[in-house]
Amino acid sequence: MIAKLQILIFAVLLSGCSVAPWERGNLAKPQMALDSHPTQTEFRGHAYGSREAATGSSVGAGGGCGCY
Amino acid sequence: MAVTKKRRAKQKRSQKKVGSALQALTTAAMVLPGMLSPVQASDEEVTIQYGHYEETKRDIYGVHIPNDPVTGFPAPDKIKIPNIMKPITVDSLHAQAKTRFLDRFKFTANYTEDTWSGASPIATAPVGFFANHLIEEADQVTGASPYLASLSQMNFDEQLNPLMIDGFDPFSGFTYANGEQLVHTLAMASPETRKQGDFNLTYEWNNATASVGGGISIENDYESRFVNWGGTLDLNSKLTTLSFNQSYTNSTTSALLDHDAIPYLNRFAYEDQIVGTSPKVRVSVHSTLFGEREDWSTGFGITQVLGKNSLIEISANYTRSKGFMENPYKAVYVFYVNPANVVAPGVLGGGVIAYLEERPDERNQWTINTRFVQHIEPLNAALNINYRFFDDDWGINAHTLEADWVQPLGRGWTITPTIRYYSQDRADFYHPYLVTKKRKTNNKAEDYANIPEQYFSSDHRLSGYGALSGGLVLSKQFSKGVSLEMGFEYYTHEGALKLGGDGEDDYADFRSYSANAALKVDLSTVGRSIAYSDHVHNHMDHGAPAPAGVMSAHMLGNAGEWMIGYKYMYGRQAGDMLQGNNKVSDSVILASDSNCGGSQCYVATDDMTMHMHMFNIMYAPTDWLNLMLMPTFVDMSMNMRSLDGAPSPGAASGAATNNYAEVVHANHEHMTGGLGDTNISALFKLYDNNTHHLHLGLGVSAPTGDVKIELRRTHKVDLGMIHYGMQLGSGTWDFTPSLTYTGQVNKWSWGAQASGIKRLERQNEVGYRLGDKFQSTAWGSYKLLNWLSMSVRGVYTSQGSLHGEYNKDHRPIGPMDSPESYGGEYYDLGFGINAMVPSGDLAGNSLSVEWLQPMEDDVNGFQLERDGALSVNWGYAF
Repeated sequence: MIAKLQILIFAVLLSGCSVAPWERGNLAKPQMALDSHPTQTEFRGHAYGSREAATGSSVGAGGGCGCY
Repeated sequence: MAVTKKRRAKQKRSQKKVGSALQALTTAAMVLPGMLSPVQASDEEVTIQYGHYEETKRDIYGVHIPNDPVTGFPAPDKIKIPNIMKPITVDSLHAQAKTRFLDRFKFTANYTEDTWSGASPIATAPVGFFANHLIEEADQVTGASPYLASLSQMNFDEQLNPLMIDGFDPFSGFTYANGEQLVHTLAMASPETRKQGDFNLTYEWNNATASVGGGISIENDYESRFVNWGGTLDLNSKLTTLSFNQSYTNSTTSALLDHDAIPYLNRFAYEDQIVGTSPKVRVSVHSTLFGEREDWSTGFGITQVLGKNSLIEISANYTRSKGFMENPYKAVYVFYVNPANVVAPGVLGGGVIAYLEERPDERNQWTINTRFVQHIEPLNAALNINYRFFDDDWGINAHTLEADWVQPLGRGWTITPTIRYYSQDRADFYHPYLVTKKRKTNNKAEDYANIPEQYFSSDHRLSGYGALSGGLVLSKQFSKGVSLEMGFEYYTHEGALKLGGDGEDDYADFRSYSANAALKVDLSTVGRSIAYSDHVHNHMDHGAPAPAGVMSAHMLGNAGEWMIGYKYMYGRQAGDMLQGNNKVSDSVILASDSNCGGSQCYVATDDMTMHMHMFNIMYAPTDWLNLMLMPTFVDMSMNMRSLDGAPSPGAASGAATNNYAEVVHANHEHMTGGLGDTNISALFKLYDNNTHHLHLGLGVSAPTGDVKIELRRTHKVDLGMIHYGMQLGSGTWDFTPSLTYTGQVNKWSWGAQASGIKRLERQNEVGYRLGDKFQSTAWGSYKLLNWLSMSVRGVYTSQGSLHGEYNKDHRPIGPMDSPESYGGEYYDLGFGINAMVPSGDLAGNSLSVEWLQPMEDDVNGFQLERDGALSVNWGYAF
């Protein structure tokens, strides 16, 4: 069941949509970026990282001990 | 006639169609290379960001036992203690530079600096334990100081529930009630600074990228080095992007344990990791805990365009960590309850030992992240939703849900409200405190073996709680590729917000806010605007730039021109102690208390280092006037040494009167850092005939730098204000005039400047003002190449001593605490190199470096000899 679902999701992802280059105007807008404010994400992420246990993906990018 | 009209309308329609199709194609074409990476990010960009983070004060409780004024008997009362400790604050500076070279390479360099200070919890205990010793004045509680060992024993009932004293019976003594209220023991930290440098290099193919990066993060007690690499692959006409990344981090802890806490802290488990060092100051209580840690991380991701208005990203990450993951400053109380020690009927007495926390040496972490971005057509906005699930083998499950609404408002403005919810389970080994029915034996090994858990931590980061935060990001894109971004966030940490309930009690709740501002300059846009104007050539016609150490030396010559600049200044003192211009022996300093601010001398400065980052935005509204704004960010560090022949500062028990705490505290480096003073000035062109140029600068320096930095309370003593020279600003409004002359003929340039600082206030809010300053300098430089020149400069500086003195608690222990030992007359010789890019992609950039070599110091009072100063100046005119 799960395997079928995975195949289905993958099939949808790969073929379910086709967006022609001239239809990508909206996707190209700055507000549609995956991370529209990377500077803010980093700044806030540093505060979260030193206060929360789920540091997760920030490993490998420094950040220091936050031992306070 | 009608036919023609119709035809024209048709023609217009089809033209319109073609126009919009073209527009769409052009936009799409812009998107194609690396469509799914942040689209607006430029390849050539400089970003400077300043941020401030501040927490609210924690609530602390205690049992106050004054005597009843009528009966004279003790009258216990559970109270909320006024928290006198400053909460955690962090000031951070981030600078980033991005550039593209050889067509397909992208390089990003980052520099980050954080300075933090304030009070944070080191342990947790039931309120009946008196972990916060009350500070009382005339029976009124005015504050508390942290105690790892209580003055009285802690009592429990037979089921090991904590009790507290709640009354007094003249016949049977104290009476007890449930004391389950928990309280943090808070400890204060003096300011400390962390610095990080990292880079990333990416190579781009048409449908793929590969990148490698690395960096280092350094703070006094923690050093971390990391490398990472990864790649992306675009499939399916760039509708799908696959990504992969890996990283490795190696970190070393070398934590100086709180010398206040050491006598009360059981370090049994770490005996072979703790090293006592012999410090420069005679009173030796240094004890450093060492630990090593490694992290390996691997991540995969897929990004998929779902339609012309939405896209989705799914990624997974696995991180494995090994080694020392403890927070070296956190302790856990273990209460040893002796069933035979019956204090009152049903009340058992217990002894306590505070242990350094112990966490497993291994941690496996999994993260799944999903993100969905949807374009909201009618509002031209975007909704960005992110959900993250985290799971590890410490027993922590965490959920993060985040939503941003990115709303462009026109005229370059964008507003983005953000909301975030986070919830985590507690770690398996999280315990606010531990209690056992084994009695305390005072045999270290036996007591340690009787701890009821193998791993234990009372760090609130590992407790169960939820956090809700909301914020706003406002950005404005100005013309010429300059943009400003401001962010604000308010954050609530509460046990009650935990998903599914059962979170930590509210004693651990806190709130925080953060605010930041970032200035970005897109050099590629700016470069284009330069290419179309001829004023650049004007710039290049001028001679070599002035040496890096000269302030306000350059004027923009054309109305409408902008310049951004960054100046880094480094200064170090590390030579002999001087009196006037002669080397002085320690015994001369020791001879009089007046040499050290009126108290016994114990120490002298061994070295002092200052780093200053100055940012400069300059605009020319007309060709004879330039306006300039210059915020600064500064950090300093100072080491001290014992004066030869200084008396011993006495025993700890006597405290305040014998300067023990102050002198012991001089054992380790004192650090400060944060926002410095901000200069606002105007430059007026007085004369210019292309060979000779004269301009006048009139400015004010606004006291934005902190002058109220204190050393932390230690050994039951408030150490008061830090040394004058370590404060971040002047604390007063200052007038900063300057007069600059420059000239050039062929390859030769020369110049001279007189400048001054006049304090406009009698004293700052803490009671003193810095001395006025006068400086004169003259230089000559020669253009070796079209783009490269060298300079030689002489500098004379005179500065008055400090006027007034701290009107707040201050405990002088050395000459640096004496107002008379500031200022003097100084002579320096400077050697500099200047590079200026005359054409090509980087046209308009200039970089200068100058070393100032002290020739002679004639100091006021007793001061440390200067080693030299370095200035690096980068400027970009457009």
